[in-house]
Parts: sequence; structure tokens; C-alpha cells
Amino acid sequence: MSIAAPEPKANMGQPVPRYDAVAKVTGMAKYAADMPLANPAYAYLVTSAIAKGRIDSFELTEARNIRGVIDIVTHENAEKLKDVKLFSEGGYMSTTVQPLKSADVAHDGQIIAVVLADTFEAGREAAHRVKVNYRPATPSTTFDSPGTTSGPAKGQASRFKEDPKVGDFAKAFDEAEVKITASYETPTQHHNPMELFATSCVWTGDNLTIYEPSQYVYGLKNGVAAQLGIDADKVRVINYYVGGAFGSKGSTTPRTAIMASLARRLNRPVKLVPTRDQGFTIATYRAETRHQIQIGANRDGKLVALRHEGAEVSSRPDAYVVGGTKTTTRLYACPNVDSLVSIVHADRNTPGFMRSPPEVPYLFALESAMDELAVKLNMDPIELRRVNDTMKEPIGGKPYTSRSLMACFDEGARAFGWSQRSAAPKSMTDGDWLVGYGCATTCYPTQMAPAAARVRLQRDGRVRVEIAGHEIGNGAYTVIGQAAAEKLGVPFENVSVHIGDSDLPPAPVAGGSNSTASTCSAVMMVCDQIRQRLFRALMPNESVIDKAKETVGMGQTPVAESANSGRPLDREKAFDALGVSVVEEYGEWKPEDAPKDSFRAMQQGQVRIVGGSAMSDKIAYAFGAEFVEVRIDKWTHEIRIPRLVGAFAAGHIMNPRTARSQLMGGLIWGMSSALLEATELDPRYGRYVNDNLADYLLPVNADVQDVEVIMLSEQDDHINPAGVKGLGELANVGTNAAVCNAIFHATGQRIRKLPVRLENLEV
Amino acid sequence: MRSFTYQRVTDPSAAIQALAMAVANNNPPTEATAQPLAGGTTLIDLMKLDVMRPRTVVDINPLASTWSAINLDGGNLRLGALARMSDVAANPEIQRNYPVIADSLRLAASPQLRNMATLGGNVLQRTRCTYFRDISYANCNKRDPGSGCAALDGFNRMHAVLGTSEQCIATYPGDFAQALIALDATVEITGKSGVRNIPFAQLHKPPDDSPQIETTLAPGELISAFTVSGRWPRSVYLKARDRQSYEFALSSAAVALDVQDGVISDARVALGGLATVPWRAREAEALIKGQKFDEALAQRVADAALAGAQGRRHNAFKIALGKRVVARALHQAATMEI
Amino acid sequence: MSDKTNSTTRSGFDRRMFLAGAAGSAVVPLTARAAGPAPNAAAAPDPSLPVDVTLRVNGDSRLLTIDARTTVLDALREHIGLTGSKKGCDHGQCGACTVLIDDRRAISCLTLALAAEGRDITTVEGLAKGDKLHPMQQAFIEQDAFQCGYCTPGQIMSAIACVKEGHANSEADIREYMSGNICRCAAYPNIVAAVKQAAPEILKG
Repeated sequence: MSIAAPEPKANMGQPVPRYDAVAKVTGMAKYAADMPLANPAYAYLVTSAIAKGRIDSFELTEARNIRGVIDIVTHENAEKLKDVKLFSEGGYMSTTVQPLKSADVAHDGQIIAVVLADTFEAGREAAHRVKVNYRPATPSTTFDSPGTTSGPAKGQASRFKEDPKVGDFAKAFDEAEVKITASYETPTQHHNPMELFATSCVWTGDNLTIYEPSQYVYGLKNGVAAQLGIDADKVRVINYYVGGAFGSKGSTTPRTAIMASLARRLNRPVKLVPTRDQGFTIATYRAETRHQIQIGANRDGKLVALRHEGAEVSSRPDAYVVGGTKTTTRLYACPNVDSLVSIVHADRNTPGFMRSPPEVPYLFALESAMDELAVKLNMDPIELRRVNDTMKEPIGGKPYTSRSLMACFDEGARAFGWSQRSAAPKSMTDGDWLVGYGCATTCYPTQMAPAAARVRLQRDGRVRVEIAGHEIGNGAYTVIGQAAAEKLGVPFENVSVHIGDSDLPPAPVAGGSNSTASTCSAVMMVCDQIRQRLFRALMPNESVIDKAKETVGMGQTPVAESANSGRPLDREKAFDALGVSVVEEYGEWKPEDAPKDSFRAMQQGQVRIVGGSAMSDKIAYAFGAEFVEVRIDKWTHEIRIPRLVGAFAAGHIMNPRTARSQLMGGLIWGMSSALLEATELDPRYGRYVNDNLADYLLPVNADVQDVEVIMLSEQDDHINPAGVKGLGELANVGTNAAVCNAIFHATGQRIRKLPVRLENLEV
Repeated sequence: MRSFTYQRVTDPSAAIQALAMAVANNNPPTEATAQPLAGGTTLIDLMKLDVMRPRTVVDINPLASTWSAINLDGGNLRLGALARMSDVAANPEIQRNYPVIADSLRLAASPQLRNMATLGGNVLQRTRCTYFRDISYANCNKRDPGSGCAALDGFNRMHAVLGTSEQCIATYPGDFAQALIALDATVEITGKSGVRNIPFAQLHKPPDDSPQIETTLAPGELISAFTVSGRWPRSVYLKARDRQSYEFALSSAAVALDVQDGVISDARVALGGLATVPWRAREAEALIKGQKFDEALAQRVADAALAGAQGRRHNAFKIALGKRVVARALHQAATMEI
Repeated sequence: MSDKTNSTTRSGFDRRMFLAGAAGSAVVPLTARAAGPAPNAAAAPDPSLPVDVTLRVNGDSRLLTIDARTTVLDALREHIGLTGSKKGCDHGQCGACTVLIDDRRAISCLTLALAAEGRDITTVEGLAKGDKLHPMQQAFIEQDAFQCGYCTPGQIMSAIACVKEGHANSEADIREYMSGNICRCAAYPNIVAAVKQAAPEILKG
């Protein structure tokens, strides 16, 4: 055991090294753009230099004359693909703006032409030589830009069902002893996975194979098929490894069907590796948000009134909304709650999920306001959370399936040395550094979706698991392998895991932190079908079979299950009794509360995610407490974070090694979001200015020092058979506020707009 | 990237000959149709962006055998222009005698880039202004003289507050050049008619009305070496930025002091991240000479260094930041143990 | 476009250098294939025609006929079939393409293949000896120094150089000298641990 591979606590699996580790350290892991193709044509995108308007004409002669250019496709000669709905409105798409259909430009960096060439180099040159004559219109870019339209999210975004409220906020706030009213802002951010948004398309007859990094191969397969107007069974999406995604590769972007169409037209494989800057506009992003928080509290800290109003930017045609009030209105005990979310439609690309889409902006606002309240009450911020901790959410009165928030605060505070904090702002220094400690609650809904798996067990103990899951760095190969190994009582090394291929049984989008819970629950269920067959062969005794049935996970360690079943499975004997060499089972699993059409939708690449606050009789969240030490250089005002501590409870931990890494990465993501990440818009043009990795700053190694991850033992038998809450998006939520709370502690200055830059500090 | 003919040269005269093809026209060196390739970290980058479009690329790396030496003889420093940034930064003699040089190199770019980039190429690296680097913006006087400057009223957080004109506010992004200008380095330039030497301060041109002309180099000329007279053990390079490493300066200062019996007998102050060209704060230096160091003096010097600065919408903060960086660097230089 | 030649194609490179010397000029225009073997500066060959270049990668020489604009990264990935080195930005801003050139870490996306002719290129595929992983690879596994794995080949190449340069003596040093490789999954603390773990074994040789 080591720091990287922590000793498992109760209800945790083994910290085995990653299934895909050797492939990844030897360069043998094949990402989408690594897949060998026979004589591909290289596609190079031309994207719009205006954010709104029309294309009057193209001048293509010069570009066409470049040696190696095969063709240049624009709206004037492109195949007109079918309109498909937004993923959140029953379709698949990241945006309903389908490029190359008309002369209209709806956003900056929209695909307006594609060069096809024999080499990447020729394609690039030709793309630069394409001249476009625009008729530009003035874009309305963001909040406060003249010409935008806005309205409540409810009623225009079908996924946003309600503005949660309870009691009488206005009266309670009016009468409250202590009040906070504050406004917060979060910026545009881009996922910037290291892997570019590559797509290769290969036709074999009328069968299409797509190599593309995807968090949802079934969604992509069906989305592209719908756009092309072909049978989804003719489309296969393969991506064995995804080079980071963070939400950006979850829905179908317009580029894929365009590439498929071009490959069909050329009768030749087409390979697209867009540039980094094109990635800022051909995929999605986290839109900027604004918030107003009002909190009324008693002098003892108990909340009596809470109102959260949020506003988000979306595109003109699409009502994308994250709507984090579903979380912030339910996080603390409070009898009078009100909320409202509205959408501002601007001349922008449609935003989309980015790691913890609702919780990052909305909890930044709430957890900052909670800190402001603690200051006003002269109360320790941890104690303020304790006073308002609850096992029942206040809106519908539903019980949390489990909630270890205060245990996380206690363990985290101990590890961090919170007791060493002197409460007064500006009271801690170290040489030239102003020092501040801050903390915040983090949480993320526990979500599950239907999934199917096929598992094959051989007499010699070798296992093959097939499920169209996604390895995005989440450890999917590893935890799926572990689930099967533990359930079937074979060594991990015996399991071969097959994911990332839409010809395999469907798994949901690897988003919303549902992947491990859903895929492992499905795999465990199917493994249990195998166990039942073997048990039945060995002892046709009803009670034993029932016993085997009972062992379908439910958050217990599989080792314990095996013991519960009365006797370990004698595999070879069972096979001999059955008279076969291989047992194979397929099964479809769905979570409690999943709608009736779940399995049909699953096969069609449409997710029916359930969980979080949307369950009928309960509410399920993972929780954590996050602590930040911030240091501010007295001279330069440079802000550095030497220490991050997070304590988390997320139900069953399949693998403490991969879990720790994800949580650690999340903490750093949160720090990055708080201090570095903002996509800057030039409002005159409605264009992103810093669309590259030298100007859109991500942390480098030197920005990160001590990061401590504590995983608490937690068992939750009310969520899914795997007992897993999911933690991919848990850790980057609270950090945003924790950083600002620490900056307040260091400087006495409250920053309510992210990111915090040195010029924002008046030390 | 436009197609080009690649040539590799193995001696300086061949390099000059190959580059001379471009001398015929009147373009500034950055627009010359033949470009020298050393580390390639600027040239290849800008060619990929279609900002630079040479028709001939002259690979001068083989000249490193004669042009990359680091010499510290008789109290003077000579650095071959093809020495790699990382090699110079790692040189113990440089670290000891010229910490401002070693640190300006060490704090630039990344280890990989410093392994590639040469000193000569580094001082000629071009601005990071987005409106310059992205050819889809129509208004850039540097790229397309007379087209305007999109940065003036655009997103200009990284842009310059010193040495600007109404034609261009693009920041000179380098670090090493600040050390050279502070130390009154000499640039050795090799061209058609032989070798000439100029003060480093005369190498770069502020934008004025012709931001497309960035240096006083003639087309076809190559920087072959830098020389610095004297040793500057009491010198620092301080660089402020958003992230801890691998980022251009928001504001930096190269400071070198000569202190005799507590009195500052000579002082050099140069500013990075703030100006359109490598920037020497001579008026500020004048305040120091003959004085004893204290924080009040540092403050006065810092104020003087930024006296003419002009902020815009997103970069006005750089004026106050620049002052604090200068004051801090002076403090570090004055109090460092040598 | 590419074919592998193990022994003799270095002669092409030598010939050009020889011709240059023989002509009394050190200018070496690498010839477009269609222009014939003997370059004639006055004829100004069409620069958009492919050129021959021999790259020595992981000890093997490869003769390629490629566009003169091809970078080492694209030559490796698109022409030689070594896809371990990754494209993350194509502008020297992320480090995912880091390889060793003559044992120094370099950004392969900003290095022209032509300029790398005659030099030794080492990629992540050249580290393991059969099934025996390089100590840095082993340390990356043990310290879980990656998640999605995309930046990993570049991190590993950079980490090996970091150790050999003598920049792995403290955690602070490792952090600074590993800052040219961005990891969006943010495995940084584990990367530092891996470099620390592997350093003694690498320095031992």
C-alpha cells in the first residue's frame, strides 16, 4: 500500500493497478486518432470568423489549387444532413445548429467549410487560403449585451422541471435576525481535454465505423445514424480510450456526421484532427452564470430563509440549462426556500455539460454565501454547516439515503489542521505570504442509468466482460474488471474487459458520475445470473438459489457475499455438472425509479438517468468537505495553493487507487477553476480570444503541491446494487468557494466573481 | 503553413547567402521570403498559424558548432546565438556571475522548449497578441500594416502599457531580453558585409507608426552572439504570473546592482511583460545611483519606472503590478547574498 | 507513404551532405523527389512536392517520402505508425508530443522532420525492453500517475529527461521541471511521486 494505493477501509475494494496501465505507459493504448486507416483523406475545418451573419460567398480557387487538395465542401455543395433534436430534448445533439446547411452563421467558430486533402499539411494550407466574404451582423454575446432574450428555464428546457420552493421565503427573510444578500458570477470555461476532438470515419459498403473519443458510443452511433438517415445498426463507434472528456464528449457534435458524409462521398476513410482552438467552438463549454443568494438566519446560525436565483447563457436556438438550484435548495435544513433559474439566449454556440455542470457554479454561490454568513455571525464556518446539517431535504422532506457531510468535515478539519486557523481575516502570515484557510461543502447527486452487459465465464476461470462503457480516465476498465472478478471469485488478472465499442451491450453516457454505479451494477447482476446457473447445477435446491439471488451486491463486499451464500462456488465442479466449458449471460439492469421505456431508450442511445433529488421517495448525494490553504505574495499578489485537503464519502469505493486519483484530480480542477480558467470573449465580435493552451490557463505541475484525499467508509444500501455513489464530479465542486473563502481569510477581501486573478486583490 | 524549400547550411557564409535571396525586396526581416530556422519554437508555430509564410526555410542549426559557445573570459561574457536556453541557464558560471541571465532563461517557457530554443531566436520571439496570431482577425497593423489594431479596444489583459502607440500595443513576450538590455549587452550581427555590433537596446524597435518592423536587423542578417562586459553577481530576474510556471510574464523585472560599501554605484532596471519592446527604465536607474538602498527608494524607483505607462481596459492593473515587481526585485537584488 | 529500412538509407543523407561540400557551398536544398537526385538551386524545385527524409526512431532508420512541412510528431504518427506520441495542441503549449532527440527532451510538434534527419529520436515505444518496462513506466503504474493516459507518453519522456538532467533532486525541482507537460486529469502529485521513485534506478543506469 502507498499514498497512491490507499489501504481499503470497510466497504472498499482493492486498490489494484489500472487494467489499462501497461497500455497507457507504453504508448500502445490506441486513442481515436491513433487507429490505423487505409489511405485516409485528411479533413481540415474552416470555421467562421464572425459570430453572427451570413456568408455571401467563398473564394476557393487559390485553396483548390494547392497540391494535394481533393475537395472543399461548403454549404453550397455539402450533403444536407437531417435535423436532430438536442440531447436534452429527446435527441442526441450538442446543438441544433447544423453547419453546412445554409449560409447563416450562428456562432463564432462554426464549421463553414471542410477541406479534404491527401495530407494534413495540404489541408491546413488550403484551409488558411479559403477566403470568405461575410455579411456580418452585430452579435449579442453574453449577459447585458443588447439584443439577447431571456426567460425562465422552466417551460423552455424540458429537463428543468421546477424552481424548487417551500414555505414563505419573503416573510421569513424579512423577519430574519441576520441576512446576507450577495451576487456571484462564474465565467465561460472550456473542458480542454488533452485529446483533441478527432473523428475518423470509414465506410465498408453501407456500414460506417467511427473512431471518435466519446463518452457515449450508443448516443453517438444513434445520433449520427439519425443525421445521415440510416439504420443505427449500420453504424459502429469504436473508442477504446478517451483522452479526457469532462463532459465535452458526451453529446453528438455536428462534426461527426459531416465527416461520415464526406467519407461516403469520397469513398475513402476521412480523418479529422481539429486544432485546439477549433475545439473551443465545435464542441461545448460551460457557460457563464450569475447568481443572487439571499440567506436569512437566526443568531445561532440556523437558516430560516434561502433564495437562490441563477441566470445562465445559452445559444439562440437551444435552451441548455444546468439549473443547480435543485441541489442548493436542498443542501441545508431551511424551512423557507425560493429559487428561480433563467436563461439568456445569446449569439453563442450551445453550451453543454462540463464536470459537475450544475454544482460548480451554483455551489460556488451558495458556499461563498455560507462563508459570508459565518463571518457575519462570527461563527466557525464548519459549525455553521453543522447547525444546518440535515438528513431530510427541506423541499419535499425526502430522506437522504446516507449523508456523511459532517463526518467529512471532522476528518478533513483534523487532517488539514483547521484548529490552527486564527479566525480573523488577515491574521495569518508567513514571511512575504499572506496565508488564508478556507473550507466548503462539496456534493454531487448519486445517479444511475440502465445498462446491459454480457459476461462469459470459462471453466478455467477466465472471464470476458462486454459492456459499451467508456474509459475516460475514470478507471472504467479496472472497476468493471474488479466487479466481475469479485463476483465470480476469480483473480482480477483472469478478467478481460471489453468496452468502448457500440457493438457491445449498451451502457449509459459516462457522465453525471453514473458510470461506475451503472456499469458495475449491470455487470454484477449478470455475474450473478452466471452464479445462479452454476449453483443450480451443483445443487438444485431452491433455498440456495434464493440465497444466490440475494447476493446481488447491495453495497456489500463481494467476499462477504460469497460467505453469505453458504459456500464458495466450486466452479469446475459446477461446469462439469452442467457439462459445458463456457457459461455466458446477457442481462439488462435498470435502477429503481427508472421509467418504463428505459431499456428501449438505452438501446437507442438515450439515457434515462435517475437519482439525486429526482427519486420518488428519497434523495441520494455523495458529500465531502474541502479545505484550502491559500498564499498570496504581498508584493506581486500572486495567488498560490500549497495545500488542498478533501474528505469524501461516496458509498462503496470500488478501487481506492483510482478513486483517490479522480478525487485528487477533482480538487485540482476546482483550484484551477477558481484561479485560472476563464474563456475570454471579445464582445465586439462575439469571439473567444484565448482559445489555446498558452492563454487558457490550466494548472501545471508546479501549481500543485500537497493534495490530501481522505475517503470515508460509507455504506448505502438504498441506491444501487453496487452501492456506488459516483465520485468523478464530486471533488471539483466545493473547491471554488473554498478558495475564495480562503482568500477572504487571507486578505479580508470577498471575491464574488471567478476566476480570482492577482489584479482582483487589493492587499 | 505554406510550402517551402528546406535548406540546411553548415557554415555562416552559406547561411547569409541563402538568406540573401530575400534581401531584394523591402520587407522587414519577419516578412522576408527566406527565414532562418534555429529552435523553431517561434517560426514553426507562426508558420502553422499562417502568420509567417517563408518560401525558403534555412536550417542554421549546424552552425551551432561555431555559434553556440559560452565564454567567460577576462570578466566578459560571450554567448553564442545558437546556444540553447537550457544550456545557458544550467551553466554554473552564468548562475554565479549573472543570476539575472540564468533566471530569465530558467523561468521562461518549459524545459522542452528551452532545450530547443536558441538565444538568438529567443530575443527575436514575436508577440503573443491573439489578434496578431490569429489571421482571422482583420485588424492587425503588425500583420497587415494599415489594417488597424483590434487589441486597443479588445481583450488586452496581456498587452503592453509602455512603449505603445495607437497602432499597436502588443507586448514583447520575452524574458532573456530584459536581462540583456539591463546589462547593456552588445549584439553581434553577421550579415552580407561582415560582422557588426550594436547595443542590445538598439535591436528592437517600438511600434510607433510601423509595428510590422520589430527590429533593426536587415533582411538576411543573423544574430551570431551576445556579449556582456563585467560581471553582475548581484542581479535578479523576478517574474509575476498567474500560474507558477510555463507562462509568459504579466510583469517581470531584471535588476542588477553594483553595491560598494552599502552605496549603489551602478544600477540597471529592465521591465518585462509590460512593454512593446525589451524595456530599460533609465530614468528610474538614475534615482538609485549613489544612494543607499531602502524600501522608500525602491518605491520611488518603481514609480519612476512606470511613470509613462498607459493602461487600457484590461491591462491597467499592470501599472501597479509593475511597480510592485520592480520594488520587490530591487529589494531582492539589494539584499541577496553574493 | 513510408517504408522501413534498417540499414542503408543513411547514404541518402550522406550523399546530400557530400554534394553540398563538393559544390563548395554549404547550402543544402533537400530535393523534391520529382526534381531528381542532383539539386540545382537555380531550377527552384516546386516546394510542394514530397521530399525524402530518413528518420532514426528508436534505433531504426525509416525512409519517408513526405511533405517538407511534416513535423516529427506527424511523421511518427501518420507515416511511421508510432502513435504513442500525442498531439494535444500542435503549438508547443502542452508537452503531449514530447520525445527525446539526441537524448534531450524536445517538442516534436514544433520540430520539422527534415530538421531531425540524422538525429536519434526516442519515443515512448522505444523504452521497454520486450516485456520489461522502463523504470519510469513501472513507477507511473505504481504511483497511478495518469488517468486518461493521453499526456502520459509525453510525461514519461519528459520525466526520464528530468531525471537525467539532474532536476529530480527535490519535489520542488521535479514539479518545476515537469511543468512543460500539462495533465488535464491533474495527476501531478502522482507524477512527482513516480519521478521520485524511478530516479535512483535511472541514475544507477
